[in-house]
Amino acid sequence: MRFAIVVFPGSNCDHDAYHAVTQVLGHDAVLVWHKDTDLGGADAVILPGGFSYGDYLRSGAIARFSPVMGCVAEFANAGGPVIGICNGFQVLVEAGLLPGAMCRNRQLKFICEHVSIRVEQTDTPFTRNARVGQVLRIPIAHGEGSYYALPETIAALETQRQVVFRYTSPGGELDERNDLWNPNGSTAAIAGICNARRNVVGLMPHPERACEAAMGSVDGRTILESVVATLATQGVLA
Amino acid sequence: MKARVHVTLKPSILDPQGQTIARALRSMGYDGVRDVRQGKYFEVDVDAASVEDGLAMVREVAERVLANPVIESFRVDVDPDES
Repeated sequence: MRFAIVVFPGSNCDHDAYHAVTQVLGHDAVLVWHKDTDLGGADAVILPGGFSYGDYLRSGAIARFSPVMGCVAEFANAGGPVIGICNGFQVLVEAGLLPGAMCRNRQLKFICEHVSIRVEQTDTPFTRNARVGQVLRIPIAHGEGSYYALPETIAALETQRQVVFRYTSPGGELDERNDLWNPNGSTAAIAGICNARRNVVGLMPHPERACEAAMGSVDGRTILESVVATLATQGVLA
Repeated sequence: MKARVHVTLKPSILDPQGQTIARALRSMGYDGVRDVRQGKYFEVDVDAASVEDGLAMVREVAERVLANPVIESFRVDVDPDES
């Protein structure tokens, strides 16, 4: 199974993702430069975290016009699994592959810590191995990750069950106004969403940084192993 | 010509930076400061056959790139000193 990890100028979690895929999961990964116009025959695409183009203008605003994003959109529109992590999520919303936008964190701080996120939906390629209501302990590291969308967009996300992860207490309780439980002030405590077709998922937390016990949590493996399991059911050989 | 683009957060969007600036100003004694909204300002120098063409291009650029229409609005005009 082969993962394409897109590298923008300023990506800095590309090698973390590469390590997680190749060393932890034991699958192939190719680093795809933002100027490339093919995805190297990948079965799944990861848009990694970082500060593409120095976060100039808005996070992800310039990266979305990179040549490679045409291939990513084509891959996504064909139903291929795509995950955007942190800056990758910001790129996906800027590109219009996911709805909404990112605002500065409510407390104006760059937050780098482990948080609890609750799995809301398991019928996406990235949550297949999880249980609804399962709380994952995964780190966030961002200054501009407060998810926002128009009220009608939020309503549509809810009715179409596109909210995939929410920030919660360690016990899974939801309180949007609580700075500990919803650290960046996201609308409806949204930590991750999927598109209507459910094959494109974006989330602010970093599953690739929570794949080995030495990193303090292995909960991120659930997300990455889910896509491996999904691809396996589609006949993609390990 | 030089076009000016002002990008501002839509009224419904929380602006924690603007709020922090407003609080700081009030603590400095500027009691009359009711609110501050922070935005972005761009000067775009363009080659265009006419002012209308130039403005049309800058509006397109503002819509596609400089502003995120989900959270921001913008206005474009021509710098009268450099038209």
